[in-house]
Amino acid sequence: MASISLMLVSCHDYEEFANDPQGNFDALWTIIDEHYCFFEYKDIDWNEVGQRYRAQVRPEMTSEELFDVCAQMLKELKDGHTNLISSWDVSRYWIWEQYPENYDERIIDQYYLNFNYRQASGIKYQILSNNIGYMHYGDFGSNIGEGNLDMILSYLAACDGLVIDVRGNGGGFLMNVETLVGRFITEPIHAGYISHKTGPGHDEFSEPYAYYFEPADDYRIKFMKPIVVLANRASFSATNNFVSIMKMLPNVRVVGDTTGGGSGMPFTSELPNGWNVRFSACSILDATGRETEFGTEPSEGYKVDMSESDMAAGRDTILETAFAAIEDMTASGI
Amino acid sequence: MTAAVWNRAVVKCAVAVLIALLRPVAARAEGVYADSVPAVAAVVERPVNSSFMFDAGGAQILDTYLTPIKYSGLNLRIGYERLQAMKFNPHGWVSQIEAGVEYQKVHNAPGNHTMHSLMCEFQWGMMHRWRIDCMPGLQLMAGGGTRFRGGVIYNASNSNNPVSAKIHWSVNLQGMAVYNMRVGRLPLTLRYQVTLPVLGAFFSPEYGQSFYEIYLGDRGGIVHCGWWGNRFDMRNLLTVDLHLGHTSLRIGYRGQIETSYVNNLNYHFFTHSAIIGVSGEWLSLRPGKGDVERARIISALY
Repeated sequence: MASISLMLVSCHDYEEFANDPQGNFDALWTIIDEHYCFFEYKDIDWNEVGQRYRAQVRPEMTSEELFDVCAQMLKELKDGHTNLISSWDVSRYWIWEQYPENYDERIIDQYYLNFNYRQASGIKYQILSNNIGYMHYGDFGSNIGEGNLDMILSYLAACDGLVIDVRGNGGGFLMNVETLVGRFITEPIHAGYISHKTGPGHDEFSEPYAYYFEPADDYRIKFMKPIVVLANRASFSATNNFVSIMKMLPNVRVVGDTTGGGSGMPFTSELPNGWNVRFSACSILDATGRETEFGTEPSEGYKVDMSESDMAAGRDTILETAFAAIEDMTASGI
Repeated sequence: MTAAVWNRAVVKCAVAVLIALLRPVAARAEGVYADSVPAVAAVVERPVNSSFMFDAGGAQILDTYLTPIKYSGLNLRIGYERLQAMKFNPHGWVSQIEAGVEYQKVHNAPGNHTMHSLMCEFQWGMMHRWRIDCMPGLQLMAGGGTRFRGGVIYNASNSNNPVSAKIHWSVNLQGMAVYNMRVGRLPLTLRYQVTLPVLGAFFSPEYGQSFYEIYLGDRGGIVHCGWWGNRFDMRNLLTVDLHLGHTSLRIGYRGQIETSYVNNLNYHFFTHSAIIGVSGEWLSLRPGKGDVERARIISALY
């Protein structure tokens, strides 16, 4: 019996890597090779990348030297969700560092809110002087309470329009996206597709699964007037998902810059030396079936950057454009 | 040893076998308690053998949904076991119920990451019992049963794959050998049990599937028929009950093997633990249901 059990158990063998520079490098390369979800979409030859960086790995190299080689290899993926995490550093590829910030919190606080605003569930909100409601949600990792949303939206209910500012929001929990979107729809909507890897091959994916968001319960407060979502390149991951869904709604315009993308849902794994590696494992597509890994563009005609002259004058170019967009929507009967 | 002694031994053994063959079948299943009851009994009483066990030992877990690295560490378990001769044939059949809660705290080799595992299980089985007449005190049992086991393994270092849910229902083969003996004046019960799931169903997400996607409704391909081609589990239990009085001290060993390979995901779960516990037999006396003094007591284990 024991020998039979050992034989059966051994059928499930798996590859173990040594805890040395070569073993850790190979473990990292293999984890990404078998689990990363955007090789084909980004047209990356991972074998060639591996050969190029493996040549830099030497048995006598220090941990810091190995970390640098591994970090450079991961940057080839051009993925903000991919990080190598050691006890002294986190490697990163943050696309927003290459673009204008397009957001200055001080200008909003000083010149539009007069330092007088409310805060609930991580949302800063106030009614602006032109009777437009303003919400800034800076982190989808801050859980949104349904009761808090009722209070916020009832406070803003008399406004002519609503600005939802998610600039600088680097993402968080997708459940919060569903909670927030549910306040701006009255019928279930097709929010997008999700697809996961079914095996270690670069082309082994499940059929994209269409997923839907439900509106909030009938007794909850909703806002169905014109809405503008403000985005910049630092609107990443769950925020990118939020923007891509809101953009489909007829009473919503997206104003500002293309989001930072990050449509791959990250998983985490680890190397024999204890370093963690985070990587995109599942692909979330928008409702048209399009990848948004490299970002969701603003609505047509609403690509705007902050101008230096406006900033010097205490004006937020993107927010001012949002006011115009609400006027346009109101004028056109939305 | 002289020839005369050998001859006496052979004759004794032959007589014992002959007596055993001639005894009524119903009398064969009587244990150490049964030896002391009157030959003609008004009622049959089936005491419940209950035991509470605490396990402590080592665990090794590999779950490639969470990490390709093998983790090892501590295994703790508390469990309850109930054995009883079955009513329809108390001499020939024994039922067994087990319930347990386990906790494992395991670390990777560098020691900078920890996983926690919490599992609950419930098992029911019934076994046919044979007494080996030429070896008094020995009972052999074989039968089947079913087990439900569920829990989670949690890796705090992970992002969208922080837990691996484990839900498994199985149909098992199980066998047990029990030997009642004395060491000096101390009565002992030795027991070895092996449980071998052969068929069942279990949960596994797909290779790179997140639990968020399952929450959204994509639930195809997550329930699998478990058989030896994709799953092999085995449990070995060795206990010694030291009958110190009305209750017994139980010491022993429990070894668990759980392995599965499905959706390109590899899962190994091994534990080796020492057991300490208490066990005893409990009899529910019912006034008016017969002559208790003359009852034939048929034990499941002792």
